[in-house]
Amino acid sequence: MKKILIVDDDPIFQKTMTAKLELLAYSIVSAFDGEEGLTKAQQEKPDLILLDIKMPKLDGLSMLKKLQSNKDGQTQIPVLITSNLSSTENISEGVSLGIRGYIIKSNETLDTIVKEVETILNSNIR
Amino acid sequence: MTLVLTTILLFFAVGGIATSLYLVFKNYKAKKILVQREQDVSRRMYELAILKELGDRIGYSLDVQQIIDIIINSLHQFIDYSAVSYMLLGPEKLIFKIHLERSVHQRFVNDIKDRMLGSLSALLDREFNKKDVKDIISGAIIIEELDDPVRSFFNIPLVIDEKVVGVLTVADTKTGLYKEEEMTILYKIIQQASKAVTSLQSVVRTEQAKVNAMVESMADGVVMTDTDYRIMVINPSARGIIGLPKKEGITIFDFIDNLEGKFDIRGKLEESVKLNKAFKSEEVLIRDKFYKIFVFPVNTNVLEESDEKNIVGAVVIFHDVTAERSIEQIREQFTSMIVHELRTPLSGINKISELLRGGQQSLEKKDFDEYIKMISTDSTSMLELVNDILDIAKLEAGKFDVKKEPTDIKNVVENRVDFFKTSASDAKLTLGVIYDAELPALVPLDQAALKQVLNNLISNAIKFTEPNGSVDILVIHHKLGIKIGDELARLASKTSIPLPEEKFTDTPESVVVAVSDTGTGINSSEIKELFSKFKQLNNTSENETKGTGLGLAIAKGIVEEHGGSIGVVSEIGVGSVFFFMIPLQ
Repeated sequence: MKKILIVDDDPIFQKTMTAKLELLAYSIVSAFDGEEGLTKAQQEKPDLILLDIKMPKLDGLSMLKKLQSNKDGQTQIPVLITSNLSSTENISEGVSLGIRGYIIKSNETLDTIVKEVETILNSNIR
Repeated sequence: MTLVLTTILLFFAVGGIATSLYLVFKNYKAKKILVQREQDVSRRMYELAILKELGDRIGYSLDVQQIIDIIINSLHQFIDYSAVSYMLLGPEKLIFKIHLERSVHQRFVNDIKDRMLGSLSALLDREFNKKDVKDIISGAIIIEELDDPVRSFFNIPLVIDEKVVGVLTVADTKTGLYKEEEMTILYKIIQQASKAVTSLQSVVRTEQAKVNAMVESMADGVVMTDTDYRIMVINPSARGIIGLPKKEGITIFDFIDNLEGKFDIRGKLEESVKLNKAFKSEEVLIRDKFYKIFVFPVNTNVLEESDEKNIVGAVVIFHDVTAERSIEQIREQFTSMIVHELRTPLSGINKISELLRGGQQSLEKKDFDEYIKMISTDSTSMLELVNDILDIAKLEAGKFDVKKEPTDIKNVVENRVDFFKTSASDAKLTLGVIYDAELPALVPLDQAALKQVLNNLISNAIKFTEPNGSVDILVIHHKLGIKIGDELARLASKTSIPLPEEKFTDTPESVVVAVSDTGTGINSSEIKELFSKFKQLNNTSENETKGTGLGLAIAKGIVEEHGGSIGVVSEIGVGSVFFFMIPLQ
């Protein structure tokens, strides 16, 4: 069973995304800010991270930078950014950090987000 | 008998001849007078014509030398001379210009020069030396063989603004020229020219003073240079902008140094002067501020008909655009904040409905309840946001109607305190209110609007106070000139932080409402922007809460529509007091 970490401060997104993914037999872990996200990513070692950008304590991109600097050579966990912000700076910074995708939450339905998730997970099969 | 007859005839003859001679003579004189008169009139008209032409040609020229040149170029039309010359006080030397109508000997020229030097020395009571003179000779050539000396000579002093600036001379090899009457035309011309120049100079001085005053006080930095890039004018603003030292002689190099390569001032000045081009820069950062820099050439040609442009220098203007820039940035941030605050709840509701419609899961009641609660919360917060934005827009447009009616303010406050009792106890806070015994029965206010203000202040107080703290509301009747501290004492209560006396010294008779909390307090750096609708948004601040932050801006708008004012005092770790006053008149 694949494990997915959802890092997002929006309780509605957490609840609805979790409900949807659990229906599809994924195991879900939640974090509500960047610091919690960093800890849980390191502890739980998920197969995919759904990462929001604008969060209290530590924002998504900073958390990603820290996560990658801590890994040192180990394979990176694939990351799908799910944000409401669409600035080009965020996108290009994300790309330079090796994210697998950048989604604008409010433009997508749960189904389309799930499709994106499955594409990434399937392309990762070793 | 014939003798008597002859004598009588002779007598008559003589008489007749005498009479006719007399008559003829008289006629002749009359004719001469007539001719003279005619000559005088035509001379006068001629003088007038010359004066008018000269007047037109002098026109806008204020260069004294230019004016004298124009004059001497026209003189030969009605005065005969071998040479005409002038000697003027120049900036460094005396300028001696002589125009030869006919060839003469060098000594002729020297003689004139000496005489003029002498006369100028006498007029100005100064010793002048031959070495101090710059010579300009034009016209016919010097011929050494011609030996004739100066035999006629006439000299007129040139006076501008009651000061002697030079002398003008006509001279000839012939004798007997230049009688006084004939010279009247010359006097008149010189007089007219002097008057014209004097009054023009006065006009120029006045206008110059006006321009100087304007430039000195301009907020924009202004620098003017001549064609050699010498700084002619630099106003205090420019000094401040570039950070120039206080010394007197500022040069272009001081500019180049202080600009640190951010703007090629020398290059742009050169372009401007040489190519007669105006230039406008993009935003340039100088010492932490942004400026748009303009460079213009300056030319003296006032008359637009002439193509000749006489460029005498250039002007550089530094225009501060920092404020405009930051307003743009803040506006952008504000807009993206609003978009985010609307997108998030909307997409949340969307996803909830997607789940519920999917029908794939069997919903437990508790999940269902939670979803409904989320929908409710999100849609409420969106409604509030839309209302806030509308209120702000109305306040800005002056269309926020505050209908003041005599109201029992106690009722209004009680109503709000009741409303918030549950949230306060949920947050483990005490919520209390104290009313001044001397409160007026009725206060002119808009009940709904005031409830909005109280909503905002009380909900903020609850939000930002930790459990086991307290929120206290005080409603005071304030009288003009009485210290607010004394009035609070009357209530046997105090606010977490004392109210600032200076904010109340000029406050007329009014009702003051203070919402005091023992919360976390507000940073002094944030207090400035608290009531502004555009706040600097901090992504990772500890105090980040959802919401647009428009509530306080709206509260301020409402209170001010009532003719009152709003304020806050705060201390980190102690608490905050938001207060507003509604005038009773």
